[in-house]
Amino acid sequence: MPPQISPIDYAVPVFILLILIEMIVARRRDPARYEARDTLTSLLLGTGSTVAGALTGGLVLALSLRLYELRLFDISWAWWAWALCFVLDDFAYYWFHRAAHRVRWFWASHVNHHSSQHYNLSTALRQPWTSFIAVSFIFRIPLALIGFHPAMILACGAVNLIYQFWIHTEAIGRMPRWFEAVMNTPSHHRVHHAVNPRYLDRNYAGTFIVWDRMFGTFAAEQDTDRPRYGIVRQLGSFNLLWAVFHEWIGIARDLWSAPWRHKLSYAWREPGWSHDGSRMTSDMIRARWQAHRSTNDQDGEERPWTSSTSS
Amino acid sequence: MVFEVIKLAVSLIAVLAVVWLVSAMKLGREARIRDPAHAIALADEAEPGFGGIDVGLDRAGYAALVRNAAGRQMLVRAHGAQFAARTVDSRFTGRLDKGFLTLTPPERAFGSVTLQLGKDAGLWASRMRDVAHNAKPSAGT
Repeated sequence: MPPQISPIDYAVPVFILLILIEMIVARRRDPARYEARDTLTSLLLGTGSTVAGALTGGLVLALSLRLYELRLFDISWAWWAWALCFVLDDFAYYWFHRAAHRVRWFWASHVNHHSSQHYNLSTALRQPWTSFIAVSFIFRIPLALIGFHPAMILACGAVNLIYQFWIHTEAIGRMPRWFEAVMNTPSHHRVHHAVNPRYLDRNYAGTFIVWDRMFGTFAAEQDTDRPRYGIVRQLGSFNLLWAVFHEWIGIARDLWSAPWRHKLSYAWREPGWSHDGSRMTSDMIRARWQAHRSTNDQDGEERPWTSSTSS
Repeated sequence: MVFEVIKLAVSLIAVLAVVWLVSAMKLGREARIRDPAHAIALADEAEPGFGGIDVGLDRAGYAALVRNAAGRQMLVRAHGAQFAARTVDSRFTGRLDKGFLTLTPPERAFGSVTLQLGKDAGLWASRMRDVAHNAKPSAGT
């Protein structure tokens, strides 16, 4: 009988406590870190995400169990199996997350998590409602085919999600150097949530930042370039349903209006891609910024920001 | 099932309590555009290299219109404690009422924006006629 573990249920009270502590810190150091309507949207997105997960989780579990029946190896419940499962699940998470930023279909779901212009612990709970529609689960369930029990995969995924909670904060500057080298940290994840051109589409890691270092997607937070959060085209709205569905609506409109031979590209190409070049992808934004920067030699104008905002 | 419903109800109560606390602690006051230089910087953040040269700043600092050398215009407005921007294109509609200029973007969720521009309102309204001819690629998502 596999163990029935739901670590997130136990973590939620701690999440709320840490949010309250962060709010007190924000009041003393930088009250703009929180905004009531933004927090409401984030927390309702989190609540709705748990409902969506409850409705569709059974199907994903059933599919995982079916794959587990076809497993290649019999992997036990030994401690090393848990450790290996966690590392492999984090590796799978890296590729899921990378795809979630580079393929518009997956982005349409994941964008919920990025649509806040604030970066605080409530942002961590801003989770998508449409992961099942986006078939995001296909990145993780192959572990069941290898031979890890689905219950173990679910537990490791939950622990990974819990780990990622505390890194959504501006209240922590930098961790010790050895920790920053191996683990995902608030500094690394601020980069991930930033829309500054140099930070776009970087640091996809869940728990271990080593994946980004290995696959060339790592960017370090610069003291001279304070992260600005959100999405390239900020929503400008606190409407919950717009936050959830705006990118899906955008895909539907593009599929409707695009020429036949380009229709699918609006779902499978990177966000911002357009057949007529009328929009900009993150790569195009970065290239334009670099060109503009080299022309204007902005290096001399950059000033440190971390001392005044991180606490 | 009953337990799940109770859990959901408790979650919603906790959400409302946290949001009330954010409000009670006066966190996240409405952002305001301080001056024309601030508006130009915000436009550059929204579109790197936008290069604003002229600004129509709302008297209360709630919003601004920023124009660059190519004649393109960007609408910047406060969004809670932050800012959001949109490139003004031919799909925008404008309404001039004495010193007030109201811009309505095609995207309903972004909402209409009314700028108190005083005597400059007419000038910015007339510039809107030119924006259709100056459309350039903009950030897509």
